Amino acid sequence: MDFNPCMKHKMVRKTVREFAEAELGPIANDIDRQASFPWEVIEKMRPLNFFGLQIPKDYGGAEMDSISYAITIEELSRVCAAIGLCVTVHNSVGAYPIQLFGTEAQKKRFLPPLACGERIGAFCLTESNAGSDAGGVETSAAPEGDDYILNGTKIFVTNGGVCGIALIFANIENSGPRPESRVFIVEKETPGFIVGEIEDLCGMRANPVSSLFFEDCRVSSKNVLGGSIPGLRIGLTALDTGRIGIAAQALGIAQGAFDASVRYSKERQQFGKPISSFQTIQNYLAEMATQIDAGRLLLYRACALKDEEKPFSAEAAMAKLYCSRVASEVTGLGVQIHGGYGYSKEYDVERYFRDAKVTEIYEGTSEVQRMVISRSILTQLT
Amino acid sequence: MLKLVTCIKQVPMVSELPWDAKTGTLKRELAEGMMNPACKHALEAALLLKNRHGAHITAISMGPPMAEEVLREAVAMGADRGILLSDYPMAGADTLSTSYTLARAIEKECPDFDLILSGCYTNDSETAQVGPQLLEELNIPGATFVDQFEIKGNTIRMNRTVDEYLEILEMDLPGLITVSTHQYNPRYASLSGVEDAFNRADITRLGIDDLGIEPEMTGIKGSATRILDVYSPTTEKKNDVITGSPKQIVEELFAKYDDKIGSAIGKDLKDYE
Ligand SMILES: Cc1cc2nc3c(=O)[nH]c(=O)nc-3n(C[C@H](O)[C@H](O)[C@H](O)COP(=O)(O)OP(=O)(O)OC[C@H]3O[C@@H](n4cnc5c(N)ncnc54)[C@H](O)[C@@H]3O)c2cc1C
Ligand SMILES: Cc1cc2nc3c(=O)[nH]c(=O)nc-3n(C[C@H](O)[C@H](O)[C@H](O)COP(=O)(O)OP(=O)(O)OC[C@H]3O[C@@H](n4cnc5c(N)ncnc54)[C@H](O)[C@@H]3O)c2cc1C
Repeated sequence: MDFNPCMKHKMVRKTVREFAEAELGPIANDIDRQASFPWEVIEKMRPLNFFGLQIPKDYGGAEMDSISYAITIEELSRVCAAIGLCVTVHNSVGAYPIQLFGTEAQKKRFLPPLACGERIGAFCLTESNAGSDAGGVETSAAPEGDDYILNGTKIFVTNGGVCGIALIFANIENSGPRPESRVFIVEKETPGFIVGEIEDLCGMRANPVSSLFFEDCRVSSKNVLGGSIPGLRIGLTALDTGRIGIAAQALGIAQGAFDASVRYSKERQQFGKPISSFQTIQNYLAEMATQIDAGRLLLYRACALKDEEKPFSAEAAMAKLYCSRVASEVTGLGVQIHGGYGYSKEYDVERYFRDAKVTEIYEGTSEVQRMVISRSILTQLT
Repeated sequence: MLKLVTCIKQVPMVSELPWDAKTGTLKRELAEGMMNPACKHALEAALLLKNRHGAHITAISMGPPMAEEVLREAVAMGADRGILLSDYPMAGADTLSTSYTLARAIEKECPDFDLILSGCYTNDSETAQVGPQLLEELNIPGATFVDQFEIKGNTIRMNRTVDEYLEILEMDLPGLITVSTHQYNPRYASLSGVEDAFNRADITRLGIDDLGIEPEMTGIKGSATRILDVYSPTTEKKNDVITGSPKQIVEELFAKYDDKIGSAIGKDLKDYE
């Protein structure tokens, strides 16, 4: 067991940190306030492979290992969680399912434009009646000749307003009492693909999370991901990987709030001393650092298992459950350390605080993570 | 195709490192290393040449084993090959023995180079000597603090700023330039570049035996300078109150301080007496 980051992982962190601090740092607060998507930065991210993190070289990606992936998302989110979200959703649940389940023709057609960021990916499972219960999807796909006609509404689609390729979970009509689910790869130009209004969210405001409407949207059977692979299986597998990304994002937010808090506690003077000289503040910092470190170890363990091609579903769920809680607690303490200024938009911690909460909700709520973890415990042979 | 060599030094990431008073060296182990900023500009200049005309770029560094990092970074940014000169006898080198060692390695590994690009100075020792010494060692022409340049055929045309004047120079290749930090803002390494730099990079590590040099010529033994003492400069302020009539005050002021006043305005006040 080696707990030292290797030279490559150090360089990945340095490379992404340099980029994030220089390009996203100066605008992170503004794009949050204006809820605007920073296309000009996305333009710079494209040639640096941020949109093809784990896609194989042959399809134009960087073919990174999972720890490098996690570090990348951490470092983006440490500065700007909304863009961390864009990148992790695009890579882990947008592109990765195609990489894993796609036919060769689908990979050749869809991975290169995703890998270079020419098209941003989205993952559309949630509906108004299907949240934690992913089986409750009502979007339908009616077979017609060689095509399917999609009808339904997806909500809370990360990257919804800017996506070029979306994975749509739908049930094949008339396929029996237990509807067969499939994932459809749909390009945004397809007639009947309609982008709804951008959600007015508490955090992650620079990410255009929106609804997507499908109105008689005709999609070729060539676009059914993996042919006859059940959608739910694709979804659950994708979410295992997605959770690594969300855990990394949560950790990055926590780290950002922690770094800001350490700086602030050394600068802010009360009672004639920096507040970092008070034992209570020191205890907060110690607590925050310990939680972040523990979360990071859980996360990198899940990544290492994934790269060793071992089961990692429960470990990814543990990492997501724990890191998202850490994000909420650490950002809360971060605001506390900043006092009234922490509650003001003048300081970054206010944004980190708002951004953190949703990591406990999307890609499976914390309650759902506990279900995943306990299922793995209770089904283990003893 | 142009054959370029870039000299890259790893420097500590923080600006103020404590000195080891006993050995007179920086406590480098206390900080993460990074590519010296001016070296990064030199590399960027080389990469632009490569993008425009095609070129083969060798990045070379002398330093401890950890200096491998900056060579991998150079490859991640687009260099084709890295050479690390690292060996126990090379330690503690001053600029003379650094440039001697770099020169012998370049002669051996890149004998048919067209242009060597080094940074103008480093952030840690900041002597700006290694470039000029290296061109002397190799007996080639060179120019320092080059802001911008162009290569046409066998000639390089360079802009450099000297005392706020723009100087335009030309020289024949092969040659050496030290690149300033005014232009050539370094690019970001791509993430696939970083992957490649670890999975398929051509990094060679060479010691004194590989270079065929004597241990006396490199490292601290080959150094012509010795650090006698290292200390932080201290500045003291002392108020000097001059009293009397205005005429007396002015006369006393000039009597006491004409050297300093003269050097501040760039004139020898004695000429005016
Ligand atoms: C900013 C944002 C971005 C999102 N991006 C995407 C996206 O890109 N793609 C996508 O498909 N979805 C996305 N979502 C949706 C998200 O994944 C869901 O909101 C989440 O899965 C929870 O579903 P729900 O909101 O319907 O809550 P519900 O499922 O209604 O849950 C409500 C509460 O009940 C709890 N609960 C539910 N069932 C159980 C149970 N069996 N046992 C115990 N507790 C239970 C939940 O944990 C939660 O606390 C996004 C959401 C947000 C806010
Ligand atoms: C007695 C003495 C002992 C020293 N001991 C040590 C020691 O133990 N460890 C230590 O690291 N330094 C030590 N130094 C510092 C060492 O002399 C300089 O770091 C080194 O010679 C380069 O000088 P510089 O940094 O001023 O480079 P400059 O001349 O300012 O650099 C200009 C350019 O030259 C090139 N260059 C410089 N150094 C290298 C290199 N090593 N590899 C490749 N290219 C290079 C780069 O392109 C750089 O941008 C010591 C110095 C003295 C005088």
